[in-house]
Amino acid sequence: MKRDLKSSLLRRLHLNESWVIFFVLGIIMMDFPFIQIFNVPALLLGIPSLYLYLYVGWMVSIFVIYLFVKSVDHEDGPDGERR
Amino acid sequence: MLSIQLVAGVSLLYIALLFMVAYYADKKREQGQSVISNPYIYSLSIAVYATSWTFYGSVGKAATTGLDFLPIYLGPSLTAFAWWFLLRKIVRISKENNITSIADFISSRYGKSQWLGALITVIAMMGIMPYIALQLKAVATSFSIITGYSNVSQAGISSYLARPGIVSAVILSVFSIIFGARYLVSSERHEGLTAAIAVESIVKLISFLCVGIYVTYFLFDGFTDIFSRLQTADPETLKRLTTIGNDKDLSYPHWFTMLFLGMGAIMLLPRQFHVLVIENSDENHIKDAMWRFPIYMFLINLFVLPVALGGILQTGSAGGADFFVLTLPMKGGHQWLSLIAFLGGFSAATGMVIVESVAISTMFLNHLVMPVIIKLQPRSWFPLLLINLKRFGIVLVIFLGYIYFRIVGETYMLVNMGLISFAAAAQFGPALLGGLYWHRGNKAGAVTGILLGFTIWCYTLLIPSFIRSGWWQSDILEKGPFGLALLKPTELFGLTGFDVWSNAMFWSMFFNIGGYLALSIILSQDEREKEQVKKFVDVFIPPADELHWEAKRLSKPVTIMQFVNLMAKFIGEGPAHTAIADYLGPREIDEHGGVSEFELPQLKRFIEKTLAGSLGGAAAGAIVESYLSDIGSKMESVYNIFSTVRTELSESREALSVRLKASLIMNRTLDLRIITFDLLELIRKEFKLDLAVIRIVDDSGVLETYSFSGTTIPSITERRIIPDINTYIGDAFLSNSPRFLNDTRNNPKPESREILELEVILSFAHIPIAREGESPVGVLSVFSRTIVGLFTQPFIDLLTSLAGQLAQAIKIDSEMKAKEQERRQKEEILLENVKVTRDMEIAKQIQLSLLPPSPPDLNGALIACRCIPATHVGGDYYDFFRRGIDDIDIVIADVSGHSVGAALIMAETRSVLRAQFHATNSTRDILAMLNEELYEDLTNAELFITMFYVKFNMASRLLTYASAGHNRPLLFRPGRPSCTELDAEGLILGVKRNVLFEENTEQLQGGDVLLMYTDGVTEAQNRAGELFGESRLCEFLATVCTEHPDVMIDRILREVTAFSAPEPLQDDLSLVIIKLI
Repeated sequence: MKRDLKSSLLRRLHLNESWVIFFVLGIIMMDFPFIQIFNVPALLLGIPSLYLYLYVGWMVSIFVIYLFVKSVDHEDGPDGERR
Repeated sequence: MLSIQLVAGVSLLYIALLFMVAYYADKKREQGQSVISNPYIYSLSIAVYATSWTFYGSVGKAATTGLDFLPIYLGPSLTAFAWWFLLRKIVRISKENNITSIADFISSRYGKSQWLGALITVIAMMGIMPYIALQLKAVATSFSIITGYSNVSQAGISSYLARPGIVSAVILSVFSIIFGARYLVSSERHEGLTAAIAVESIVKLISFLCVGIYVTYFLFDGFTDIFSRLQTADPETLKRLTTIGNDKDLSYPHWFTMLFLGMGAIMLLPRQFHVLVIENSDENHIKDAMWRFPIYMFLINLFVLPVALGGILQTGSAGGADFFVLTLPMKGGHQWLSLIAFLGGFSAATGMVIVESVAISTMFLNHLVMPVIIKLQPRSWFPLLLINLKRFGIVLVIFLGYIYFRIVGETYMLVNMGLISFAAAAQFGPALLGGLYWHRGNKAGAVTGILLGFTIWCYTLLIPSFIRSGWWQSDILEKGPFGLALLKPTELFGLTGFDVWSNAMFWSMFFNIGGYLALSIILSQDEREKEQVKKFVDVFIPPADELHWEAKRLSKPVTIMQFVNLMAKFIGEGPAHTAIADYLGPREIDEHGGVSEFELPQLKRFIEKTLAGSLGGAAAGAIVESYLSDIGSKMESVYNIFSTVRTELSESREALSVRLKASLIMNRTLDLRIITFDLLELIRKEFKLDLAVIRIVDDSGVLETYSFSGTTIPSITERRIIPDINTYIGDAFLSNSPRFLNDTRNNPKPESREILELEVILSFAHIPIAREGESPVGVLSVFSRTIVGLFTQPFIDLLTSLAGQLAQAIKIDSEMKAKEQERRQKEEILLENVKVTRDMEIAKQIQLSLLPPSPPDLNGALIACRCIPATHVGGDYYDFFRRGIDDIDIVIADVSGHSVGAALIMAETRSVLRAQFHATNSTRDILAMLNEELYEDLTNAELFITMFYVKFNMASRLLTYASAGHNRPLLFRPGRPSCTELDAEGLILGVKRNVLFEENTEQLQGGDVLLMYTDGVTEAQNRAGELFGESRLCEFLATVCTEHPDVMIDRILREVTAFSAPEPLQDDLSLVIIKLI
């Protein structure tokens, strides 16, 4: 009983904190000064580097959200309403 | 070129398709099914974010300034990260409070402020004008392009453009009205509308992807081909368009501003709030939308840069880049593809206009129209008026956009028009976020912040847009107002080096957030705001059980029917009755059609919530408040006994302390007087009452004052009360539940009114004193002359609990009293017994003294006699009477029973005999005479006597005897083998009045032994139940006949005692022995 409580608390903390962390991280990655790294007039694989960075970063971020959503689903179990 | 008829026909067909989809979804909804309640449709409906701005404008932007089209779509993707805690919270709050729009949401959070709601609505309506204009412009321009009526280049808006503009405005108005404003209830989902929006999202995505694939893979040879071709053709342009930071319009601050605007717009635009929150059917859909919606954004932007660069390569310039999506397929000769592209752009524009107009018209009705309407007397046609006003709002919103389009439309690129709207919506951000997470955020701060932000927005974005269009001639853009360069709208306060957007956003957010924070910290919230804060900020904190209780009450009770009539005036009869039926369900209604005092505030909130679903929170609150004040009732704070300190425990600290003190009082003593008085003092002082009384019911069922504390009010304290259902106290006692009145000025029971008025009692409560599951033993009454609304549920609960403890104390007290009584009774009985025993001992002594102390001396005979009473007194009797020298009478008798009565009869017999034996010489006459004398007394006493009477002459040794049914004496003669039994006929004394007795004689000789005895001797029983019997007695007599009569008696007694041992003798024993010498 106590163990369950602890693990569910930890899990909840873990998840909610993570949302915020990735939210903030996303803003930083998509912004100055990060994008300055790729803000050069060069073609990477024939594609402008900043353009490539933003789209790949975008895709990665979507995938990260996807993983998070799946982990929430998984932890919620079939009933889905526990949190 | 395509013919107008074809394009118009296809557009109308498309609109017809949307109608069908929407109609189908609404029909399904009526059948109880929902086609839109799934995460796919939810995600697609959010994609209403992608408007014709995305469809045409992004390409235009990408072709002119480059990558900065992207942050507008990256921002929402980032915001989606936060949806799980941010959007979910907003959705939860909105569902619980029947929120209808973003204006409703924010104004509800800040105490249902009507001003705030109106302000937000005005900002939204003005802010959204450019955005709707953008859509109409896109539709009109694209129509013109595809039908060849207008040159691609900026040829100026001709009257041709106006026509498709106004036609689409009309069609969109009709569509929005049909699917968005069919009913008044705005907090419910619009299934048809959402279904149509989802279809539009699919159409615009597929359409854009088709064009993108065509340009990228058919006109060119993939992504890399486009880039490399431009690299060789115009490396400078490629560099400009694929990097940022080259000039101030494409600097890092600009990038950040765009990202910020995009992040805010996805939540704050009225239509986004509408699809995200109001149309949400399940919180779990948010999870899926969090990644599905970004994917949509990703896909629809994937080909933006290739199409833009491809367009530049194809046309050689970025001119008319806004419509590359249309013109490139047309140039390639693919008319059908350009038609698809047109449809995509058309669907993007219509979707946005429909949702936006519905969302804004709801705000328009609830926050601009309702504050006026509620000032009017409600009429029966109000529901009809309201729904039509809402429809009017839709038309108004769309035509405001149309007017802006006619004024400004030509000067700006699509994207820039949209950004003006985004910047306006961003002004709601601080108040919304602060309202969600900051308890202190207050109405003054929100109003000030939004107002300041809006002013800056007007000054730095809206007015410049009018000036640039030439509609308003002014030089403030160049020189500043009144020549003050410091106040130049685009370089406000001398902030140079920023682009227009960054400048506007920086200053508007600075003043917005600053104003909000400053006033929230300086000023405090009022009651109404505090109540709302809990519902918003703490929405996920589950209310602790039992903790939720009313701190408010209605000063004058309102019946359910009154509330229903009120609701019906605004939302119609049917919905009003349905709502109230849902609410009441199993709840109890009292005889007046009202609910209990504690339920009333809850009912009031429900009415507000229901009205809010149609009219918005601010208006609903105002309607209910004004109605209550009309009937003279208002919400007032109950006197807060427990202050506002509440712990996580189930009770307040104050209640706990009272409980503690009460239990100390109860345990300190067993004296009920002290307990009750101390308890009353405690309750009275702790809760500042004027009088507290304990009444206990007596044996006759009357409630009598047992103890009281406080002001002496004789008419209350000295009253003996016979419980009656018509009085509050009687009701409380008989129904065994607390009865109280928080304000005696309202509807007291007629029986109680007089005394309440006379004694100026403002509020009181009667709590039955009862142990759980038992009927009450009394009533605890508390009265206040000063405080109204004293009795809250927790206070009543506390008093009930104290009364329960008191009942326990009373029970213990009565049990102790009963035990004491019993003990005393036993003691008395014991004392009585001792006394009786002593008396009986005396009686025994007296009785024994009535028997001859020693037998008379006779010449020639030895006599011995003995009497052993079984109890204190007995009925055995023997006596000797001398008649001269030679004659002696011997009598032995046995009165039945061993009672005092028998003893008395024995004494009487003795007296009679002693007095009368001289009267005759005949033994039979003596017995007859005795029978006659005693008959009545014996009959009355229900007793009788057996008697043997002997007369003995010493000289002649002649024995004369008579018997009244007595045991036959035994005559033992030496030399004879057995005893002779002396027998004479005769009835027991006391049976018949006249009896004849037989008299017999017997000649005795020397050595003869005559044994006379009572039945105690022969009827002595041994353990086996055997009687001692005559024969045994006779045999024993033979063995002892040589002895002295005294010794013989001793031996016989010992023998009989031994025989019946170990049992003591049951009957009196008497023996008389005469032994002739």
